[in-house]
Amino acid sequence: MEFFLSQLQGFGGAFSALVTDPITYPYIVISVFLGIVFGALPGLTATLAVTILTGFFGNKIPLDYALIALLGAYVGAIYGGSYPSILLNIPGTAASAATAMDGHPLAKQGRGAEALGLTTTGSFVGTLIGTAALLVFVWALLLISQSIASPEKALLALFGILLSGTLMSEDLVVKGWIAGLAGLAMAMVGLDPLLSEPRYTFGWSYLMSGFQVVPVLMGAFAIPQIIEGLRQVDPGKVIALKGRILPNLAAVRRHMPTIARSGVIGTGVGALPGVGEDVAGWVSYGVGKSASHDGKNFGKGSIEGLLSSETANNACIGGALIPLLVLGIPGSPPAAALMGAFKLNNIIPGPTIDPSIILRVCAIMVLASLTMFIMGLFTARVFIQILRLPQTVFLPVVLILTTIGSFSVGGGINDLYLMLGVGALAYFMNLMRYPIAPLVIGVILGGLFDETFRRSLLLSDGDLSGFFTRPTAAVLLALNVALIAGQMPVVRRAFAKMRKR
Amino acid sequence: MDIEKLQAELDKDLEMLRARDFWGALALIGCAVFFLWRTSFIPFLGENRAGVSGAEWYNSAAIVPFGIWLAMLLLGLVLLRIAIKAGGAKRAFSSVGLGWNRQEAIRIGSIAVIMGMFIFALVPRVDFILASGLVITALIYGFHAGRLGRMLQAAGAVTLPGIYALSMHFPQAEWNKPHDDDWVVLAAWMLLSVWMLVHDRSRIARSTPWIALLTPLILVTAMAFGFRQNVPNRGGLLFSQIEYHYYVTLRPLWRD
Repeated sequence: MEFFLSQLQGFGGAFSALVTDPITYPYIVISVFLGIVFGALPGLTATLAVTILTGFFGNKIPLDYALIALLGAYVGAIYGGSYPSILLNIPGTAASAATAMDGHPLAKQGRGAEALGLTTTGSFVGTLIGTAALLVFVWALLLISQSIASPEKALLALFGILLSGTLMSEDLVVKGWIAGLAGLAMAMVGLDPLLSEPRYTFGWSYLMSGFQVVPVLMGAFAIPQIIEGLRQVDPGKVIALKGRILPNLAAVRRHMPTIARSGVIGTGVGALPGVGEDVAGWVSYGVGKSASHDGKNFGKGSIEGLLSSETANNACIGGALIPLLVLGIPGSPPAAALMGAFKLNNIIPGPTIDPSIILRVCAIMVLASLTMFIMGLFTARVFIQILRLPQTVFLPVVLILTTIGSFSVGGGINDLYLMLGVGALAYFMNLMRYPIAPLVIGVILGGLFDETFRRSLLLSDGDLSGFFTRPTAAVLLALNVALIAGQMPVVRRAFAKMRKR
Repeated sequence: MDIEKLQAELDKDLEMLRARDFWGALALIGCAVFFLWRTSFIPFLGENRAGVSGAEWYNSAAIVPFGIWLAMLLLGLVLLRIAIKAGGAKRAFSSVGLGWNRQEAIRIGSIAVIMGMFIFALVPRVDFILASGLVITALIYGFHAGRLGRMLQAAGAVTLPGIYALSMHFPQAEWNKPHDDDWVVLAAWMLLSVWMLVHDRSRIARSTPWIALLTPLILVTAMAFGFRQNVPNRGGLLFSQIEYHYYVTLRPLWRD
């Protein structure tokens, strides 16, 4: 009890500091607005919103304000994806793919305004649930993570890369692992962290400092999106809204169990390293379908179905920040972009992070969700106008944004070459259905893996037993082995036989 | 019937994907072998470098890269096996099997040329506002209507000034100065805008010149004077004038 009270007290202090600072408001309003716009425009994603804002705000303003801008955009973009899902049947972001299943049929039934109002409420409550989990569990995990040393960190980084590769693969799991390893390989470029030995620099001095995070993020997430989106697409017919968007309290109360369940699921899925909001939305939708008494109507315009996915994807944000802040492992692709912003400010998320940053993150999340809630309920019709904007008009603008964003972070033309190179690679990977998120997570965690793995070996004079004699390391090693073995046909066949018996 | 049709399409997509995976796996294996060879240049088994004892195997800078590329090689072989078993190798030599689409190839080729010229030729050498304005106009004109002819025209409109800038001012020493290449880009942008307005009377076409001018202008000025960050080509035709008037004409107004 004392623990919770002290947590609340710390959070209260951070929240009051945030709301009494007048500079907070322009940042939060503009970033949430931009986030919703990015989410609402099909072809732009939440990851791209956070990535582009990292380029602009990452190291140009104090981290306290940069976090407001980035988290505001993150919360706004995940929510904003619901607009085209409901009104156009086109998910604005991958996170809102499940939302379209019930959101669009509801809009066709003339219940679009009701759907938007409840979606906004679900997203708001979902974000709060995720933030509450972040506030509570992050401290418990931080206490545990104090005992984590190099072997555990190395295994955890590897687990993050492998898990995101496994869960984010649309096609073969092996492709997700290849993407993760490609990211790891990219992180090896430059002077190595222990002996300053140059690796794969090919005599180019720019590569000595390794690949910069922001150009990699911009290249991986923006360039394929621009190439893919620059085509003539029928923008579709936006279904007109009838009635009021503001939901009535009785409806909210009636659906509160679904919202609460989806919030918990979203937070849990978000806490898995590298697994994003889209997976959270689908998992919650699937659980909702079997758990809800309205399950048979899922896909035909069920409010329960809509809330299952839409609450979970916003709750996932808080969950995704738990591994990021506690272990330095991003819980989702936008969290990977957020990690880029931390890196730009020389802050290393993990057990050594300043606790005041965590409290501030929680305070920003609450304020951002409140801003999103107010904007969603009272300015929804403005965002609906944005849906009519063709992507062939805004994607060229995104190209210019990414170019100047990449350039200004490093201040060099080489960063632009890197952005374009990574972009071309990511485009071809997309074409061959390799997931991109594991690549980026590999680039971000590669340095950590290399350093901690080699430090473990250095301290034990090459004795590998440290990876399985330490209890936490042994568990993590078992998880890594299980993850790999679980995809092997021989093991799968054996399990299938066992199940039959 | 519809489900059968959908299934047939999915099967065709999968066949195409496996044919691409065949080539992808070969490229991956080639890459892994090349980088394993490059990794062998990094001291590994207690090698000496310039008379100083190098790393032991367990703290060598090569150990993790070796692991990564060996794993890549292994995964490449697994992918190759999957692709061959699924018939990818059989279809790998036919354009149909690979899913080759001429229209899509022209679209992607045009975008690649525009982006390549923008990043490699124009951004380092030409005023950022002018280069961005030209590229925004070209991309909207070329790709909004989805016509192949327009895509090629757009690519040409960026390529010509790009090649001019590359060929006339290739050395880095000449990048950050106002030059004739800025004027060439400005002329190309004007011509393309006029051409677009003559041939297309839509609302998008009419608003394109404004988007093309205002987007880079606002971004560059916000970056340079708001965030005080470096921006590409400070000596460019327009930006040098903006910067001059900001410091000489405008700033004294509130400084004094």
